[in-house]
Amino acid sequence: MAHHIDSSRNSCALHGALQVIEAIEGFVPVVHSTAGCGAQHYLGVNRLNAGSDRFGGSAISSSNISEKHVVFGGSSRLREQLKNTVKIVEGDLYVIVTGCATEMVGDDIPAMNKEGRDQDFPVIYANTPGFRGDVHQGYQLAIKALIEQLPDLGKAEQPPVKGLVNILGIVPRQDPFWEGNLEEIGRLLEGIGLTPNLLFGYGQGVSGWQRVPDALLNIVVSVWGDAPALLLEERYGTPHLSLEGLPVGAAAGRFLYEISELLQLDSRRTEHFVQSEERRFDAQLAALADTWYRAGFQREFTLVGESAQVAGISEFLSGTLGLIPRTLIITDNPPEYAREALLSRLTSLLNGFPTEVSFTEDFAEISDLVRSASASLVLGSALEEAVAAELEVPFVQLSFPLSDRLVLARGYAGYRGASTLLEDLGSALLSDRHHNPVHQQSSAALGCS
Amino acid sequence: MSLLKAKASRTREKQLDTLNAWQGTLFSALTEFSLGEPVKRIRTFSQSSEDDLLYALRLLAGIRDSVVVIHAPRGCAAAALFHHVERGKGRWIVTNLDDRDTIMGADGKLRKAVKDVNQRYNPELLFIVSSPVVAINNDDIQSVVEELHEELELDIVPIYVTGFASHHAVTGYDTTLHSLLKYLGGKKGKHPHDDRVNLLSIAEHPHDRNEAQRLLLALGLELNTLPDGASKGSFHQAATARLSLSLDQDSANYLGVSLRDEYDVPYSALPRPVGLGATGRWLAGVGKALGLDESAQKLHEQESEKVRHSIGDFTLKGLQVYLSLAPSTAFGVLELVEELGGEVVGITVSRLDQLHKGAIEELSARHPALLIHVADGQPFEEVNIIKRLSPDLYLGDSLHLAQVGRLGIPVVSLRDVPVLGYRGVTALARRISTALLNRSFGEALSRSSLPYKDGWLRRSPNWHIKKEVK
Repeated sequence: MAHHIDSSRNSCALHGALQVIEAIEGFVPVVHSTAGCGAQHYLGVNRLNAGSDRFGGSAISSSNISEKHVVFGGSSRLREQLKNTVKIVEGDLYVIVTGCATEMVGDDIPAMNKEGRDQDFPVIYANTPGFRGDVHQGYQLAIKALIEQLPDLGKAEQPPVKGLVNILGIVPRQDPFWEGNLEEIGRLLEGIGLTPNLLFGYGQGVSGWQRVPDALLNIVVSVWGDAPALLLEERYGTPHLSLEGLPVGAAAGRFLYEISELLQLDSRRTEHFVQSEERRFDAQLAALADTWYRAGFQREFTLVGESAQVAGISEFLSGTLGLIPRTLIITDNPPEYAREALLSRLTSLLNGFPTEVSFTEDFAEISDLVRSASASLVLGSALEEAVAAELEVPFVQLSFPLSDRLVLARGYAGYRGASTLLEDLGSALLSDRHHNPVHQQSSAALGCS
Repeated sequence: MSLLKAKASRTREKQLDTLNAWQGTLFSALTEFSLGEPVKRIRTFSQSSEDDLLYALRLLAGIRDSVVVIHAPRGCAAAALFHHVERGKGRWIVTNLDDRDTIMGADGKLRKAVKDVNQRYNPELLFIVSSPVVAINNDDIQSVVEELHEELELDIVPIYVTGFASHHAVTGYDTTLHSLLKYLGGKKGKHPHDDRVNLLSIAEHPHDRNEAQRLLLALGLELNTLPDGASKGSFHQAATARLSLSLDQDSANYLGVSLRDEYDVPYSALPRPVGLGATGRWLAGVGKALGLDESAQKLHEQESEKVRHSIGDFTLKGLQVYLSLAPSTAFGVLELVEELGGEVVGITVSRLDQLHKGAIEELSARHPALLIHVADGQPFEEVNIIKRLSPDLYLGDSLHLAQVGRLGIPVVSLRDVPVLGYRGVTALARRISTALLNRSFGEALSRSSLPYKDGWLRRSPNWHIKKEVK
């Protein structure tokens, strides 16, 4: 039984499905629910990801059912809404997503979808009531609907693409850096001769989704990509490669070598590319060194975020940057099978140092954990800002929800993402040194300035 | 019968014949409201808009020393996360209803949540907010409230919002204020009155609340401001005040009328103090109600002089302006635009009802042919209208400003920015003058297309507004 949650940062399945649909060009959501579901999504998800709003506002097609439909059923309202959405809103694919009220009433969504198809509307549906799960389940439900129903709509003739790989598992907006992360992973894959199918973000539309079955491999960045990858394996026999987290810095090199071997790519090309990326990054580290010593980079840190993000970023901070992973808090409720692997890897990131790893999305629990860890650096969401201020330590806002930063193109994946993370982290440490003399003094007193 | 005996307030459509879908001239709007109950319209295509649950959460986020338990699946609490993060306000938990709860009911879960959160935060006041799932299942919140009130010795206030019973989000304010007064106002009847005056401030920007307080304090009043920034005691005190003053009739009407009918506290329903003229009338209304006419008049003259000085020769002369605002704000801003020499060519208001009859009557005498569009969050219609009118400036408080911005016209946001009183006039004039001075962002934005088909933009904007077939 699901437990109550203090200030949850994981919204519902409907909102997760909307995050998928709104991140694909030409896809139009048709919400069949009460009026407020779309506005809740806009306020509670989009607005907390400043700079991530495709339609220019909250208003998306929504049947806004009223009491009458709750009592007598809302199917006819959906029929009307769908027909008019196709007439009014520009789109290549219309996706019916349902909310709690219409699911409880029992509206026949497949039948309405079929009626739409009979009129040649490019329409699919996903049952996504909020009570079915959180954003991550919503992400999976929407992708499942796309994989299963898109082929029924036929396919425009497209020339075959060589070396196509799909990227799964990055949940748009729930990872505030989703677009930047996808683009960097795409850039790295191109570097070793593959054609990435990013599926979400700028320039990603229905044709990319129609190519999903043609891929050589599905790359799974987070545990939330597992179910879609298994479905694709079952349907099309496509193998998949699951990463141990967002590949930040050196992990990106390892991942490129692994793919290269798996797909038997030109190993010299891969080696050449990875080495040139690493040389560039090493030069940046060298350029940073003086600041690293002066600003006191080497601190114990607490990191709060989703599993892939926490795994990737903590490994980079401890494995390359020399920071000490004190406490890691994973907020996306990964399934049991994934927790064990995360625990065994993350508790021993640093030889001889026990890192605490917790799984919770409860605000009060998280605040208590951050407080008692008392690390000298906190990385997390806007919800951790207060406790970081209480500890008087530098704070980097990098997981959902965000409040005081704008994200358009930044990402933390890959080599370029590692540089971006260094810039963000370094800026937080430097500005803290200027603005928080008390803290500076206390470090000086311990002789580690 | 006492209004407050009921579980919740009646919906806005039942109280005030409120419309949410309408389009026509001011004159025809006046006719509509003059010939008895207006005919309700519905939309055959709609876009998402706010609902009563969202308005309840917004109001409750402003109440001190309280915790909100949202009895719902996770998504219904998304806006609470927004208030928490954006405004640093509000402690809240969500009961996180799942598949099983929708079948079996979830009273036990609610009970546990209330107990846990009480132990964790030890609040003065705890709210239980219902949701569509709970309303459809008819889960028994009331007995949880009664049992735990005794067991925990805690004031627990249930807010029975549904998400579907009303077409008007503002019903959520009424429902919330109904419960606040019912549970915290004390016994019905006339209480001995003290010198305090209730300032009814409902989900106003903190600067707006400050501006109203500043003016009233300058008149020497002793204030009890509620519900914004209120604590438990404010509602009890409200029942003994000598008068209630509105800042926004649209949102305060239910509270003002209930205080009057339940506790004999007179209610002055005043125009919203937006723009110089309306702010003057608001102050004059306060003066009249309290026998402070002269001081109010003097204060208005002083403050107006300051505003005139600060805005200098700023003018909107020759400019056509479109407004898309909550109704009482819209009528105030319309007057302000005219004070500044501009011309309003059309307005979208989020609703229209009996409360606005006076304003429509007055405006219709001057501008019988002015277009009025009634819609909450329906940018497909608004964009269609604005494209036809092509105004020089757009003032709006909706959640879809960014879409209107793609039309390339200067947009000034009146959402989450102060607009009230004298300071509001100066601030608004500044923002407008900046928006007109440099339009490059709008031009850049206009290179992004609107999400609508050309076929729709050629259709009449009221195409999807139909009379409801009962």
